[in-house]
Amino acid sequence: MPMVLLNCDTDIPERQKHVYLKSPDDDPATCLPVANAPTIPGTLSERGCAFCGAKLVIGGVLKDAIQMIHGPIGCAYDTWHTKRYPTDNGHFNMKYVWSTDMKEQHVVFGGDKRLAQAINEAFDQMPDVKRMIVYTTCPTALIGDDVKATVRQVMRDRPDVDIFTVECPGFSGVSQSKGHHVLNIGWINEKVGTLEKEITSEYTMNLIGDFNIQGDTFLLQKYWDRLGIQVISHFTGNGSYDDLRSMHQARLSVVNCARSSGYIANELKKRYGIPRLDIDTWGFGYMTDGIRKICAFFGIEERGEELIAEEWAKWKPQLDWYKERLQGKRMAIWTGGPRLWHWTKAVEDDMGIEVVAMSSKFGHEEDFEKVIARGRDGTYYIDDGNELEFFEIVDLVKLDVIFTGPRVGELMKKMHIPYINGHGYHNGPYMGFEGFVNMARDIYNAVNNPLRFLAAQDIRDPLPLIMPERLREAA
Amino acid sequence: MSTCEMADVKSAEVTLAPKARAGVINPMYDCQPAGAQFAGIGVKDCIPLVHGGQGCSMFVRLLFAQHFKENFSIASTSLHEDSAVFGGKKRIEEGVMVLAKRYPELRVIPLITTCSTEIIGDDIEGTLRLCDRALKAELPDREIHLVPVHTPSFKGSQVTGYAECVKSLIKTLAKKGEPTGKLNVLTGWVNPGDITLLKHYFAEMDVAATILMDTEDFDSPMLPDKSIKTYGRTTVEDLRDTANAVGTLALARYEGAAAGEFLRDTHQVPHHPVSTPYGIKNTDDMLRKIQEITGKEIPESLVHERGIALDALADLAHMFFANKKVAIYGHPDLVLGLAQFCMEVELEPVLLLIGDDQGSKYKKDPRIAELKRTAHFDIDIVHNADLWELEQRIKDGLKLDLILGHSKGRYIAIDAKIPMVRVGFPTFDRAGLYRKPTIGYRGAMELAESIANAMFTHMEYTREREWILNTW
Repeated sequence: MPMVLLNCDTDIPERQKHVYLKSPDDDPATCLPVANAPTIPGTLSERGCAFCGAKLVIGGVLKDAIQMIHGPIGCAYDTWHTKRYPTDNGHFNMKYVWSTDMKEQHVVFGGDKRLAQAINEAFDQMPDVKRMIVYTTCPTALIGDDVKATVRQVMRDRPDVDIFTVECPGFSGVSQSKGHHVLNIGWINEKVGTLEKEITSEYTMNLIGDFNIQGDTFLLQKYWDRLGIQVISHFTGNGSYDDLRSMHQARLSVVNCARSSGYIANELKKRYGIPRLDIDTWGFGYMTDGIRKICAFFGIEERGEELIAEEWAKWKPQLDWYKERLQGKRMAIWTGGPRLWHWTKAVEDDMGIEVVAMSSKFGHEEDFEKVIARGRDGTYYIDDGNELEFFEIVDLVKLDVIFTGPRVGELMKKMHIPYINGHGYHNGPYMGFEGFVNMARDIYNAVNNPLRFLAAQDIRDPLPLIMPERLREAA
Repeated sequence: MSTCEMADVKSAEVTLAPKARAGVINPMYDCQPAGAQFAGIGVKDCIPLVHGGQGCSMFVRLLFAQHFKENFSIASTSLHEDSAVFGGKKRIEEGVMVLAKRYPELRVIPLITTCSTEIIGDDIEGTLRLCDRALKAELPDREIHLVPVHTPSFKGSQVTGYAECVKSLIKTLAKKGEPTGKLNVLTGWVNPGDITLLKHYFAEMDVAATILMDTEDFDSPMLPDKSIKTYGRTTVEDLRDTANAVGTLALARYEGAAAGEFLRDTHQVPHHPVSTPYGIKNTDDMLRKIQEITGKEIPESLVHERGIALDALADLAHMFFANKKVAIYGHPDLVLGLAQFCMEVELEPVLLLIGDDQGSKYKKDPRIAELKRTAHFDIDIVHNADLWELEQRIKDGLKLDLILGHSKGRYIAIDAKIPMVRVGFPTFDRAGLYRKPTIGYRGAMELAESIANAMFTHMEYTREREWILNTW
C-alpha cells in the first residue's frame, strides 16, 4: 500500500490519502497525495490563510508600496516581522505595516470611510510614497465593504498615487495558495500594461517567483547584469510597484516559484505572447541549466558559458568540500510546497544528501508530481502534515537535519535534530552558486553541532556515550 | 501608606489622550484572539481551538515561538469559504472531536472566537453543548472541559483578549468546594522569569499560591530522553479551586483583574488588586498585601534581596540615569509600572505609549494620578497609540536617551540611534529575555542593569564620554 495511514491518524483515516511512501514499483498515477484540499479542523495543521498568501508572501515584498490592511489589527501585526526579505532602499517593506484598525462600529456601519481615512493618512504621513496595495480580510469581506470603490475615489482625489486592491479574506480557499492566485490574477488584470519603462537592453525578462529571501535576488541580479539582461520586473523580490506595471514589455518570463507565481507567467503568455521559462535557482546543476536556457533563448550562449565557468571555478571546490563531508546525511523538508521539488534532487546531486521526508503546506497535486519524480524511493511525501504526524515520521526516518519554520524547528530541537530555517534561511542567500555553498555550510554546521551529542547524554549514566573527539574541520 | 514618602518637587503637566490618526502604522499589539491564545496555553493538558481562518492561529503560534523559542500547540477550526456562508458549527464539532481523540491527555479546550466567526454569528455556547454531549457519548471515560472564549478581533486587543480568556476559564471551571487555604495569583502577561521569581517570593513567605497562569515551563529543557515539557502548569483542579481560595491577588489591572472580580462576585473570594510589581515600591506594596491577606511575615531573606537591588540601583541612578529622557511602550500595566520604576531611579519617562482604546479606563488608573503628583517634568501618555507615533515624535524633534519596549519597535531605535532595552512582549530580537524577571526587586535590578549596559555600549559606539567608564 503506497499511501500510508499513520498510527496518529487512526481517528482521521482520510489522512491516508495525503501521505505517500514512495517505492520503485508504484504506479505514479495512483500514488499522488491529495493536495490543496480542505484542512481537517483540530489537526494542528501548519497552514496559513489566503490573506497571508497575498500580503506576506508576495505583495509585502515590494520595496516601495504602502501595505494597507483593511481589517482588525491582528492581520497587520501578524504579517509583520515574520519574513526576511531585505530591499536596496533600507527595508521599507520590513519596517512598516499599515492597518485600518477596524473596530466594532465599522463592522456594524461599514468600514469604507475608515478605509478612505486610513489611506489618506498613510499618504499624508509618508508623502514620498505614492504606491499602495490594499488587502481585504475576513471581516471586511463578510460585511461587504466596497473596497474597490473607495480606492477609486482616493485615486481620483490624489492623481499622483496608484493603488492596487487584493480581495483575499483569510477564509477563502484552503491555504495561503488562494491568496497567491488572487494577487497574480488581480495584478495582470488591473496593473500590467499601465506603464512603459525605458528599455536599455535587447535582452529583457521578468524574473517571477523569487522573493529576495536574505538577498537571493541581489545575488542573482549580479548574473543578469553580467549577461547584459535587463530585468524589467522582479515578481517580487526587491521589486518595485511600477516595474511590475511594465511586465508586458519583457521578451521572456523566467519563473522560479511556479506555485506562488506561475499564474501571472501563464497570463503574460496568453495575453502578451511572452514565453514562460521555468528554472530552478537553487543548486549548481539547476542554476547552470537555468542560465543556459535563458542564454539560449536570447542567443547569448557564449556569455552564459563564460559566467558559468567563472562561477564554477570560484565556488565548486568549496561545494565539493562540503559534499564530501555531507555524504549520506538524512534530511527532511517541511516547508510551503515548491522548495520540496526545488531542493530534493539538488541537495542529493550537489551535496550527497538524502531527503527522506517532505511535507508541503500548500502545494498542489502538480507540485507533488514534480517532487515525487525528482525524489527518492523510501521517502515520505506528505500534504498538509500536522504535528502528531511529524513526530511519527521523525521516528520512522532517522534525521540529521530538517529544513522547516522556526516553530517546528523548536520541536525538533527537543528531539536533538538540528533545524535550519527553510523559509527565511539561517545564513543565506541560498540561491545561485554562492548561495548553495552557503546552504551546504549551514547544513555542515548544523549536523556537526556538538550540542546534539551533549543533549543525548544522561549525566547519571555510568557508561556515557562516547562523544566523537573531532566533529568539525576547518572549512 | 508607605513610610517612605516621595519628595513632592513640582507638579508638571501629565496629559492623557488618544493618538490623532484613525489608522495604524506599525501596531503595538496583536488582536484579542492572540491574547486569548496566550492565556490558553498556560493551562496544563489544554489545546486552545481557534475558531476562524487558519492565519489567526498559525501566526500567533509563530509569534510565541519567536518570543519563547519554543513550540506551543494551538489548533484551528480552519474556517473555509463554505463555513463563512453556512456557519462554522460543523467545523467546531469536528475540531473538538479530532482533538479529543488524537490527544488522549487533553482535558481543556478553550474555543476562541475571532472576527469572522463573531460576525457570522455561530452559536458558540449551543455548539459546545452539542460537542459536550458527543464527547460523553464517544469518549465516556474522559472528562474534557469546553470553554467558550469570545474574542472578536475588532474589539480591544491582545491585552483584553488575555483577560477575557483568563476570566472565561475561571468562569467555566471554578466550582465551590472545600476551602484550600491557597491564594489565587493573577499574574497578568509576564515572562517565565517573572513566574519563577513570584514562586520564590511565595516560598520565602511560606504562602501556598495558585499561579494563574503558570508559564514557568515556557522555558523548557532539551532532555536526554527527548521528552517535551513546554506546557502551562496551571491544572484543571487549580482552576476549579480558584473558587475556594483565601483570596485573589491581582497583579495586573488590565490583564486578568476582571477574573478576580468575578471570583469575588460569584464565589465570595476576596479580591485584592495591587499595582503590578515593577520597581521597589510596587513590590513592597505587593509583599505587604500578601502579608495582610495571609498573616505571614515578610522574611529577612526578602529584606536582604530588596537591599541588594537598592544597592545596585543606587550605583546607577543619580550618576547615569538622572535627567535621562525615556519613552516606554507596550502593555498598559507594564508601561505604567515601568514609569513608576523610572521615577525611582531618576529616569524621566516623558512619553508613555499604550496601544489600545480603553481610554476611559486609563483615566481612573491610580498610577497615572501618582505620576501627576510626583513628576517634575511633563509626561505625555498616548493611548490607542501605534509605533509610528513614537517614530514621528522623534522625527519631529523629541529628544530621547532611552526607549523601553518590545521588539516590534526595533527599527525606531536603530534608525534614530537611541539606546533601547527590550522589555514586554515580544522580545524576539534579544536572546533569553523570557528567562529574566522584570517584576520584583530582582527584576528592577536586572532591568536597571540592562539599561545601564545599553547606555554604556552606546557611549562607546558613539564615543560620547566613553572615557567616564575608564574608572567606575
